[in-house]
Amino acid sequence: MENLNSPQNDGERKLPFGIKLPPKVVWTRRTKSDLRTGILFLLPWLIGFVTFTLYPMIVSFYYSFTIYHAKRMPEWVGLQNYKDLLTDEKFWQSLSNTMYMVVIAVPLGLFASFLCAVLLNLKVRGQSFYRVIYFLPSIVPTVAGTILFIWLLNPQVGLVNTMLARIGIDGPNWMADPQWAKPALILLGMWGMGGTIIIYLSGLQDVPVSLIEAAELDGANWFQRLWYITIPMVSPITLFNLITGMIGMFQYFAQAYVISGGDKDHLGQPLGSTLFYSVYLYQNAFQYLKMGYASAMAWILFIIILIFTLLLLKVSDRFTYYAG
Amino acid sequence: MTKKVFGVLSLFIVLSMLLTACGGKAAEPQVLRVWIQWGDNPQQIQALFDKYTTETGIKVEVTAPVETDKILPALTGSNPPDVLILSGGDLAKSYYKEGLIDELSPAIKTGNIDMADMYAAPLIQCQQGDLILCLPWGTDAYALFWNKDMFEAAGLDPEKPPSTMEELVEFSDKLTKVSADGKIEQIGFIPNHSWSHSDLYARNFGGFWYSDDGSALTMNSQPMVDAMTWQQQFFTKYGVDNVQSFSSSFGEYGSPDAPFYAGKVAMMVDGEWQTGPNFIPKLKPELNYGVTSFPPPADHPERAGTIVTQGTAVVIPSGAANKDASAKLLAWMMSPAIVAEEFCYNANLSTSKKAAEDPCFKELGPKFQVFVDLMNSSNASAVITTPISLELNDAMGSAEEKILLTGADPQTELDALQSEFESKLVESLK
Repeated sequence: MENLNSPQNDGERKLPFGIKLPPKVVWTRRTKSDLRTGILFLLPWLIGFVTFTLYPMIVSFYYSFTIYHAKRMPEWVGLQNYKDLLTDEKFWQSLSNTMYMVVIAVPLGLFASFLCAVLLNLKVRGQSFYRVIYFLPSIVPTVAGTILFIWLLNPQVGLVNTMLARIGIDGPNWMADPQWAKPALILLGMWGMGGTIIIYLSGLQDVPVSLIEAAELDGANWFQRLWYITIPMVSPITLFNLITGMIGMFQYFAQAYVISGGDKDHLGQPLGSTLFYSVYLYQNAFQYLKMGYASAMAWILFIIILIFTLLLLKVSDRFTYYAG
Repeated sequence: MTKKVFGVLSLFIVLSMLLTACGGKAAEPQVLRVWIQWGDNPQQIQALFDKYTTETGIKVEVTAPVETDKILPALTGSNPPDVLILSGGDLAKSYYKEGLIDELSPAIKTGNIDMADMYAAPLIQCQQGDLILCLPWGTDAYALFWNKDMFEAAGLDPEKPPSTMEELVEFSDKLTKVSADGKIEQIGFIPNHSWSHSDLYARNFGGFWYSDDGSALTMNSQPMVDAMTWQQQFFTKYGVDNVQSFSSSFGEYGSPDAPFYAGKVAMMVDGEWQTGPNFIPKLKPELNYGVTSFPPPADHPERAGTIVTQGTAVVIPSGAANKDASAKLLAWMMSPAIVAEEFCYNANLSTSKKAAEDPCFKELGPKFQVFVDLMNSSNASAVITTPISLELNDAMGSAEEKILLTGADPQTELDALQSEFESKLVESLK
């Protein structure tokens, strides 16, 4: 057991996962008044946070152990909601659909956006034009972009299948086919990855030229420079994109809602292949009025995301390199 | 000292802001608020309610359309709308179970609403035992539309729609054209065209997924199995992928490229509004088509004229500030003159028998009249709703998809639904 207040520690207290706390404060009149001013400046955010985030979170935790009634007191049922979820076929289906997206779409998106960023970082004529072109889709609102894709991927009259037909491929039914609905959504996601590309691009530009030049002098070819210098140097960015991408994907909702045409009867179709976790949570909460059940789902999602994030942070030590 | 004053002041401001946000409103109903879950044309509805202001001096504010997820917080909050118009009776049942809306007997009494003037069928979706949880405002019913030109081209008598469900299948086969490479070019009939019509088919096979009083689930009863099996054959015969691929080329519902208008689908089940000024007469005036009630199975000719109505449902939130004012507005909405005006305009069916006689409905033409006449059919019924309707409908939608698109066995799927929801229904009606 480490003595947290030992002098070697320099007053720094360590928490798991490398989180460091600042040294202990010595209370004087000055620091106290600073604290008051600080809190006062913090107050607008604090009120918003407590009212709209902290309080709902605490209450939803309580609701997850109850059957929610809109006007009456919630009925305490202990772990029943959680137990019911374990045997709920749609819960597992929605979880597996979501995992599919996390496991396939996130790495695929990272790989593709890194590749695009590398290309957009080359010194060629008209580079700023290409950068704009690649970034442009990400400013298209989700709803508009999704509707656009519904048309692009229309099996009979859509541009994609028309092009495929030209080269002799009989394109799939995309959004109407349970096998292809998720890949179609992944395509849509990759089309709008401008944000990730920009973050990668800025990371690429921070890779010290001296390192690359040194490697060049040592005879490293383009791929070796990429593999041994660029990729390790942008690894913190990969980690950031991975975590935010993963969290975003666990909460995947808007696109799935739009492809249903906003029609509650079509949510999750075809054959439940687009019934994502958040979609099923939404259905339980607002359509079936099962707020307690939905709260339990929300907490399970929170825990899943927490575990995944901590796990990623833990293993990231092995592949992340922080310069300086 | 100044700091203290500043601190106290800011605390006071914050507290007063919070209190204002949570506070109630004045009791005097100078303005009544009407929310409509489904409303295409808010200006027109506002104009209708402005007449109430002219008659009574009470202003009415209409909000339409309102998303389902906004209604719930409003009903649980302290300031719900005075009258709420829902898309169907299913939500009314869930809301009543949660104590969010009132049973309407007192309002019917206060407003002196003539219940005898109301068609029996559309009222079914609002009833739960002896309780009346909503009043049907506008009603929809479904019938069979057929394209006469396509009938003629296929060698069928254009004036003779199918008279039995068996004949419909036969006609559909004749009306379906497949190209040399196996792709569908034209289809006779798609049973779940635009949306599911299992309710209509089940009624024609003599049942429904609930018992008539909505107290028991009859999901795996023979009529339900028959309805699913009957629909399944179209997909088995024409090929699921072919039908799906063909369907995805269809133009938007309510556009001139809609498949029935474009001559891609020869027969369809659709509602009365199609015959009204906003649909076929406007989007495809030259379309040569007919409308008739959906045919019964050959061995049950007595089921001819079967329709299943469903429509908007008016409820009064339990938290409404002035129940008398809500009841009076409700009564005004239900009066034949207003019902006739609103539903002639939208080409929907009237729930009031007196209103249905208004000449304006006649002006909508003989095809619309087919639906008006069907409202008086002895086989007119309604979609039965219960507090679990929304959840059950979604599960049923999934099962139906499985049956139609993967060829799953109807009996097995319906048995599974029955065992999952049987007890949930009993529980929800406690």
